[in-house]
Amino acid sequence: MKTVHLVIDDKSIAVPEGTNIFQAAIDNNIYIPGLCYQPKLPQFGGCRLCMVEVTERRTGHRFACAHPVSEGMIVKVNTPKITRYRKSVMEYLLAHHPLDCPTCDKSGECGLQNISYDLNLAPGRFKTTRMNVPVIRDNPLLELNRNRCVLCGRCVSTCKEIEGLGAIDFQNRGIKTVIGTAFDKPLDCSFCGGCVAVCPTGAWQDRTLGFGGRSWEFMKTPTICPYCSVGCTIVLNTKASPPRRDGGVDTVKRVTSDDYTGINEGNLCVKGRFGYEFIHSSERINTPLLRRDNELIPVSWDEAIACISENFKKIIAEHGGASIGGIGSEKSTNEENYLFQKFCRTVLKTNNIDNLSNIKSPFLNGLIYKSVIHGFASASLKDIETATTLFFFGADITEAHPVIGNMARKAIRLKGANLVIANARNVQFQSQARSDVRLRYALGSQVALVNAIMKAIIDGNLVDLKKVEASTNNFPALRGQLNNFDPQLTGISAETIKQAATLLTNNGNSYLVCGKDVEEDPQGKDIIEALLNLCALINAGYNADTNSARISIFFSRSHNNSQGVNDVGVVPGYLPGYADIENASSRETVENVWGVKLPDDMCKKDNQDVFDLALQDKLKALYIMGENPMVNHPDGKKVHDALQKVGFIVVQDTFLTETARKANVVLPSATFAEKEGTFTNMGMLVQRLNKAIPPVGNARPDWQIISDIAKKMGHAFAYASPKDVMVELERVSPAYSGIIYDRLKRKEFHWTSFLLTKNKPLKYTFGVIEPGVLNISVSKDFPFILLTGANLNHQGTFSRHTKALMSVAPECLVEVSRNDARAMGVNNGDVVIIESARNKIKLKAKVSGKVSEGMVFISEDYERQPVNLLRDGAYTPVRIHKEIG
Amino acid sequence: MGKNNGHIRFVVGLGSCGIAAGAKDLYEELAAKMKSHPAATLTHTSCNGMCFKEPILEVFYPDGNHLMLGNIHKKDVDKVLEPLLTQKPVDEKFVIENSLQPDKVESFRLKQHKIVLENCGVIDPDDIAPYLEKGGYTALKKVLTSMTFEQVIEEMKASGLRGRGGAGFPTGMKWQFARNTQSEKKYMICNADEGDPGAFMDRAVLESDPHRVIEGLIIGGYAIGAHYGYIYVRAEYPLAIKRLKIAITQATERNLLGDNILKSDFSFHLKIKEGAGAFVCGEETALIASIEGERGNPRLRPPFPAVSGLWKHPTNINNVETLASVPWIINNGSAAYASYGTAKSKGTKVFSVAGKIAKGGLVEVDMGIPLRDIIYTIGGGTSSGKPFKAVQLGGPSGGCIPERLLDTPVDYESIAATGAIMGSGGMVVMDADTCIVDVAKFFLTFTQKESCGKCTFCRVGTTRLLEILERIAAGKGVMEDLDKLADLSVKVKDLSLCGLGKTAPNPIITTIKYFRDEYEEHIKDKKCRAAVCKDLIDFAVVEKECTGCHACFKNCPVKAISGTAKAVHHIDQKICIKCGMCYEVCKFNAIFKG
Repeated sequence: MKTVHLVIDDKSIAVPEGTNIFQAAIDNNIYIPGLCYQPKLPQFGGCRLCMVEVTERRTGHRFACAHPVSEGMIVKVNTPKITRYRKSVMEYLLAHHPLDCPTCDKSGECGLQNISYDLNLAPGRFKTTRMNVPVIRDNPLLELNRNRCVLCGRCVSTCKEIEGLGAIDFQNRGIKTVIGTAFDKPLDCSFCGGCVAVCPTGAWQDRTLGFGGRSWEFMKTPTICPYCSVGCTIVLNTKASPPRRDGGVDTVKRVTSDDYTGINEGNLCVKGRFGYEFIHSSERINTPLLRRDNELIPVSWDEAIACISENFKKIIAEHGGASIGGIGSEKSTNEENYLFQKFCRTVLKTNNIDNLSNIKSPFLNGLIYKSVIHGFASASLKDIETATTLFFFGADITEAHPVIGNMARKAIRLKGANLVIANARNVQFQSQARSDVRLRYALGSQVALVNAIMKAIIDGNLVDLKKVEASTNNFPALRGQLNNFDPQLTGISAETIKQAATLLTNNGNSYLVCGKDVEEDPQGKDIIEALLNLCALINAGYNADTNSARISIFFSRSHNNSQGVNDVGVVPGYLPGYADIENASSRETVENVWGVKLPDDMCKKDNQDVFDLALQDKLKALYIMGENPMVNHPDGKKVHDALQKVGFIVVQDTFLTETARKANVVLPSATFAEKEGTFTNMGMLVQRLNKAIPPVGNARPDWQIISDIAKKMGHAFAYASPKDVMVELERVSPAYSGIIYDRLKRKEFHWTSFLLTKNKPLKYTFGVIEPGVLNISVSKDFPFILLTGANLNHQGTFSRHTKALMSVAPECLVEVSRNDARAMGVNNGDVVIIESARNKIKLKAKVSGKVSEGMVFISEDYERQPVNLLRDGAYTPVRIHKEIG
Repeated sequence: MGKNNGHIRFVVGLGSCGIAAGAKDLYEELAAKMKSHPAATLTHTSCNGMCFKEPILEVFYPDGNHLMLGNIHKKDVDKVLEPLLTQKPVDEKFVIENSLQPDKVESFRLKQHKIVLENCGVIDPDDIAPYLEKGGYTALKKVLTSMTFEQVIEEMKASGLRGRGGAGFPTGMKWQFARNTQSEKKYMICNADEGDPGAFMDRAVLESDPHRVIEGLIIGGYAIGAHYGYIYVRAEYPLAIKRLKIAITQATERNLLGDNILKSDFSFHLKIKEGAGAFVCGEETALIASIEGERGNPRLRPPFPAVSGLWKHPTNINNVETLASVPWIINNGSAAYASYGTAKSKGTKVFSVAGKIAKGGLVEVDMGIPLRDIIYTIGGGTSSGKPFKAVQLGGPSGGCIPERLLDTPVDYESIAATGAIMGSGGMVVMDADTCIVDVAKFFLTFTQKESCGKCTFCRVGTTRLLEILERIAAGKGVMEDLDKLADLSVKVKDLSLCGLGKTAPNPIITTIKYFRDEYEEHIKDKKCRAAVCKDLIDFAVVEKECTGCHACFKNCPVKAISGTAKAVHHIDQKICIKCGMCYEVCKFNAIFKG
């Protein structure tokens, strides 16, 4: 892009062509006052404060937000006339403003206040005409005080352009213009809180703060969100409460966002912005608990650790290390998980370790690593903003990864990106994409669908097939298979598939998000292999000169560190960094650093997961870190039965979860806000946490607990901080090699792209994937298929201990299709009973257009409603009926 | 209009204005009464511009004679039908023009020059055939068969046609910009969101000659390379919408719209979008937002619609009158068009003359004609006979032009020099009974209500201006208020986002400029010389004139008047709300106002 040179206030600057004067000034630290301009939003031009004088090139008074720079332009930000005009704007705005700064949460970070101060405003000429309308508090999270509103339109724009909702808009005309919802109904939105984040005045407020502090009292610590795997940066606002002189300790009072830190450009979802209250929940475990006489009683750390140490030692001595199982955490840091697997493998001498994501899709790590080494997964999530085509396959972005949705909408708005959504359900994704192709596949036809797209690409010559053939292996076999393939199998029209194929091969970068629905599908392995074929087909024909089509794949992960827990080796098959544990030579690096020799008989993959082993009485002890498999394991009954059989269970967690209640020893662990470390997001980006508050109660970070136990058991786990752990991990893990902990404070580490700077992508070999047959035995007794998936408002243990999230989404609902609901006489809100061969639960019904006939959908993210007790596989047949009486 | 086939042809003007005046009733009455006369037919046309004479009936005889009657109502049918059918003289009071009396000429029709309005009040707007007979769609055919888009644009440039919506931007240039932007899709929009109080040119054209606008729109589409068009017409014009819909259907049936128009490669699809009643939607970016289904808020420019308009595609927007001029220019050549008007303002302009004018209606005159000619020669002076005071040009965005500037020629530059704007052509005439502060207040009330509320200056500024005006009208003004008005007006003008705000203070600026003394009277003397501002006037009984008829007593809504029959009445000032009812009903000039 061309660079344009201009002078603003005697400062010579150079900015890309097409930039507006306002942005050019911001980028060069020149201050222009403005209330409506927000770099991430389309220009609005309503406040009229940003007037500047252009004295060279298109001279005259211009509005900086609207006016693009041109070569040789000279701009004056302040002249007497401009100042006069600006004062006049402020005079107008303040005549209506209630000037209630003493009781306004925004005070101290308020645009209106700051500009008034800067301009040194005198009392205005107009009599004040305040609106004095009541504050709108129709929901638990956001309040709208229209009296303070300056109608800058930022909230309206954010809601429409970023969140895709348009829940609010301007109402009325002229002086009576206000912001509001359609027909003044209560706000019904995703509660992303974007309106609060962009509001330059105190009109939109975060109700969870509730007079919890003034802006200048807060210590602001940017850190990484503990919910989903996007890895948004959130800013914890902390303050001593009660005041420090009265013995108060730092407390998280609210979460804000920062447009310039992290990958999320200040966008958050409801969980990120309002899901922090669990940190100070009264239900947290404050002290270690020990089971005595079938009751968990508080004990000291020393006592608890001594007990664990003794029991582990005894079990190892009597039954061998392999009789102890370990479950790592998708929520703990990389450092903690690394220490966890090291502890299990070197201290307990067991390889029966695993994590829930690997239990759910055991093939996934291998396939992800395959996509990495072939260069398909080298993009970072933020690159989605530059997409030409977005392909969401089996991913419910709006519910599972809302901020990816924000990035996608940015690509759609600024780059005119196209959208292809393949899903069994009619998932919602609001956008203004010009081409929005929906491929609603039947369960079991996913492989056929991917093959059909590839066939359309090959038949339509949409990529350079000669180049594909030359740069890959086994392409003729794939081509042969697709020649004989009947795309009718998919049940989706050939035209739609062709359209999708065309969009995916448009010049530019496409991004494929492979969703949880695929990863946890019984045919998931085949579907992903097919998707990798698709990626290879498109990428192999890539021509840098013409900027032809290129596609990158992201694998949806559930939790904040679901990727990291696998990266650092809390899986039976891999040592840290996907080093094959069965291969003695790849063990060597690790053994050298650890200073131990891992016995061959320990180092083998086992086809059975930890809970299977427990069921077979092979486990005597279980060490569970930060995980609640009773609820989150897809097969609840199995976990339930398995835990009955294990004699000694150690759980370290923040809350007394269903799993912790079964434990013999419960150790209180610190939350993300109370520790340092790193999380790895689903885009393979390693980001650093910053400690905002000291551990609550007697809680300790997981890494410290592990080290304490190891030391007690006589091993030198001499780590003073997560940094020490990361230094060791960097040496051990091929994936994380090159990571520098201190540098993470400034810049994230993207391990896949770093890996590819050292190793060239491997030549891809096409596998021929035949569409399989999915057996779901829907019977007369159980006529519905139960689908499960993510929910925007909840995830894991944290959200259910957060008042704010419980208040917007108090209940788990079962989604039933309209036709089925009509047939059964079920209405919205009716209580229905969902019954599988195993169990039954009672939920309220939501009649929804998202699910097809014959399917019901229940979110698995409401821990209080353990849907996993119903399930015996990915698609469990169930029956539902209205509760009678 | 074809031969009469030996019939006597009765034509009633069924425009909105005629219908409002009772033309529909007249038409139905005539239809009922004429059933038994096989030698007579009854048809309709629309508005011929003579609003002051509505309802209008024209009669065409087989011998070529022709009669135009005005102010003729249902009740008059019995009186005139028989003489008309037998070609005998009718009551002279109805006759406007009679081909047998060539010296009887309606002065309203003098000095007019009809290009845009050539078919208005002449053809049946519900039928395409008369339009085709009059040479309709020949321009389109010419363009499609023998002209390149460059030639069309050059022709428009050479004609000197400037946007008739108000701003006066050269149309050819505008088309050139839209043509220059490369895009797979472009839009051509007709702006028929006529919202100025007192303006009805566009409505009359759409109701009377819808095909002409459509033809202009298609030619524009051809010139800029657009295949999709919209007519954005306000929903308050139901008749215009109805006639446009009929016209679009008829044009489509004849392959004048749709795919491969007249077997050429050019396709054009036209839709009507009804506006929901916001004045600001006449602003082009707000209009675009409105078509997109968004709130009609103006958007920032750049990007200009010619680069990124409707759904981010290049878009060209022209006013109804501009488009209606296009077929004529193509047919008659740019030179013919440019021969009318002044050096910088070519062609003709349609004005709707309303207010306190004797002969209100729709006039089309050459650019450059003095205002005086329009108001006196064509309009016949004020309706009340009282002295002419000022004329408001350009509606709420325009300004007041006083008597002494009446020789100003009507062209864009000269009008702008007075502080008013040409605008879309609304002319509101005021006489001595009009209070100038009240006029400014009226227009500010309008713009203040119609401001979209987006930008601070327009939203808050117009409100503050209005507050000050209200204060002055209420006799509570101080002299500093005039300075405040001036200061604020300049700021609102300079800093508002769109045309609405930028022009909203014009009525204030011009009225202060030309009638400062009246403002000062309101402030210093607490006096309203036109006796309009209620807070500054009183009603009282002139005792010597009062006959005690009791009419005021009966009509007073607040029972402020006391008195018995045949005795002098009395108004209680404490109760009086100054509604003026007594003044209206008194037949003896016994109520004093002032």
